[in-house]
Amino acid sequence: MTTPDLPVSVPETYTIPVGPLHVALEEPMYFKIDVRGETVNAVDINAGHVHRGIEYLATHRSITQTVVLTERICSLCSASHPESFAMAAETIGAIEVPERAKFLRVIAAEVKRIASNLFNVAILAHLTGFETLFMHVMQVREIAQDIKEGVFGNRMDLGAICIGGVRYDLDDEIIAELRDRLDRIAPLIDEVIDTYRTNGTILRRTRGVGVLTREDAIACGVVGPVARASGVVYDVRHAAPYAAYPELEVAARGLPDGDVWSRAMIRLHEARDAVDIVRQALAKLPEGPSNLGLERPDIPPGQAMAKVEAPRGELVYYLKTNDGSSPERVKWRVPTFMNWDALRFMLADAKVADIAIVVNSIDPCISCTER
Amino acid sequence: MTRLPKDLEARLSAVAPSGIAWQAATDANGVTTAWAELADRNDLVPVATLLKELGARLSMTTASQPPAPPEEDEEEEEETEDGAEPAEKPEKPVPTSFGGTPLDGTAYHLAYHFDLDGDTLTVVAWVPQGGDIASLTPLYRTADWGEREMMELYAVVVRDHPDPRRLFIDPAIEPAVFERLIPYSTLVNAASTKGLWDKIAKVRKEVAP
Repeated sequence: MTTPDLPVSVPETYTIPVGPLHVALEEPMYFKIDVRGETVNAVDINAGHVHRGIEYLATHRSITQTVVLTERICSLCSASHPESFAMAAETIGAIEVPERAKFLRVIAAEVKRIASNLFNVAILAHLTGFETLFMHVMQVREIAQDIKEGVFGNRMDLGAICIGGVRYDLDDEIIAELRDRLDRIAPLIDEVIDTYRTNGTILRRTRGVGVLTREDAIACGVVGPVARASGVVYDVRHAAPYAAYPELEVAARGLPDGDVWSRAMIRLHEARDAVDIVRQALAKLPEGPSNLGLERPDIPPGQAMAKVEAPRGELVYYLKTNDGSSPERVKWRVPTFMNWDALRFMLADAKVADIAIVVNSIDPCISCTER
Repeated sequence: MTRLPKDLEARLSAVAPSGIAWQAATDANGVTTAWAELADRNDLVPVATLLKELGARLSMTTASQPPAPPEEDEEEEEETEDGAEPAEKPEKPVPTSFGGTPLDGTAYHLAYHFDLDGDTLTVVAWVPQGGDIASLTPLYRTADWGEREMMELYAVVVRDHPDPRRLFIDPAIEPAVFERLIPYSTLVNAASTKGLWDKIAKVRKEVAP
C-alpha cells in the first residue's frame, strides 16, 4: 500500500490558549496567543471570568456599607479602595478628616504596600524556578503580615478606613511593637534588593524581557510601578498629594528600561521606602481623635473624584450621590485595567516560556479589574 | 504632562461652540478637580483632541443612567376657589440637562475623566435614549476597554469603536444589565446553590423511609 501524496500545508502560526487558570497567579484570565515557532505573534485577551457586579451592588447599599464593600474588591490593595471611596464621599460632604487620621491612613496604606510588593516579587522568583528565593521573600513578607495582624487584627482586609477618619488607633505599646517589626524587615528587604540586583538566575530571566517603552507606556496610560519602570515617573503621592503625604518625604522612583527586572526593582525599592514612610508617620503622628465618630455620615447630592496611590499605582474613584441613602453611581478604575493592554506590547516577540513572567510583572489583579 | 492650564475653560469653549458648563475647585494641597459639561455631545471629539494636545491621559470613563428628578409637590391639584373645574393643566415640561437632553430617567450621563499630571478634568456628555456617541478610542487607547464596558452595561451606542465586542460580560447574557433589576440570587449566579438543594432533596428521599 502506498501513501497518497497529500498536500502538506503547515500553518505559519499556531494559536495556543494560556489560562484562564494559573497564568501567574491563581486568578483567571484567558490569553489567546498566536505563536510563530516559540515566539509570540499576537495576543488576544478574554476577560470576565470573575465579574461579580460589585458596581451594581454598590448602588443598592448605603454609603457606609459601600466602604465595607469596596474593601472586598481586592485583597492586596484592600486599604486603598475604601480610602479612595471615603475621600470621594468626604469631598461631597465637605468632611475634614482629623490630622491624626490622615497619618493613620498613610500607615495602613504603606503597610499594605510592603506586603503587596513583596508578594509580587516573590512570585517572580517562583516563576523563574528559584523556589528558595520565593520562600525567603515570602518569609520576609510574613513580618508585614504579622504587622497587619498585630495592629489591625486581620492579615488581609484591615478594616481601617471609615468616612471621617480611620477605625483604629495606635497606643505606645503597639507603636513600639510596630517599630520593632519595621527594624526587623528593613535590613531583610535591603538584602532581597541586593539579591534581585545581582543574582544571575533572576537577571537572565528578567533583563530585557517584556519591554514596555516609554512611548508605549504613555499611550497605554499605565500607572504605578509599571509606568515608573518605563520612565514615566507619575506617583499620586507627589502629583496629587492626599492624606498626610504632603508632610512626609516620599522618594520618587523611576527606571528607564521598562523590562520585567525594572518593574521588580521599583516594587522592591518602594516596599523599602514604605518602611521609611511608616517610620516618618509614626514620628510625626499628631495627638487627637482618629475619626469624627460619624455613624451615618450625611452625604448630600453631588459628585466627586478621588485618587490614591495603591500598591499597583493610581486608583481612581468617581462617586455620584443623590437624595437617597445609596450612591447613585460608584465607579473605580484600578491600575491593572490599563496594564492588560500594555501586555500586548510587552509580549510582542516574547518567548512562550516568558509569558508567565511577563504577565506577572504587571502585578495582575483580576478581581479588581473585572469587579 | 502638564497641570490644568489656567485658561482651559476658554480654550475648551473655543472648540466646543455649543457651550460648556464649567466648574473647578482646588484643594488645600493645590490639586484641581474640574468639571466640564458639554451642551452638545458632538463636541466631545474636538474637546478630547485639545486635551490630547495638552498631554492629558484619559484615566477612566463612567457611564450612568441617572433616575428622573423627583416630581415637584402637586399642591395645585386642589379645587379652585370659585368651584370651577380646574383649568387644564399644561403638560409639565421634563427637566433637561445643561445642553437640553431630557432628564426622564432614560438618558445616559457619560463622564470622561482626564488626568493632567495629578489634576482631574471630567468632561460630561449626555446621550438621550436611542442616541449615540463618538468613540474616543482612535484618540486614546485607554478609551477602548472603558467604552466596551459602557456598551455592555447600558444600551448606549458608541459610534466607530474599532472592537465593539463584549468585555467582561458573556455574549450569551442579555444586553444593558445595568438598566434592569437583577435579583441578588441571579446576580451572584446561584446555580451552585440550586445544585446543592437538588442534591440535598435527593439524599433526603434516599434516607427517608
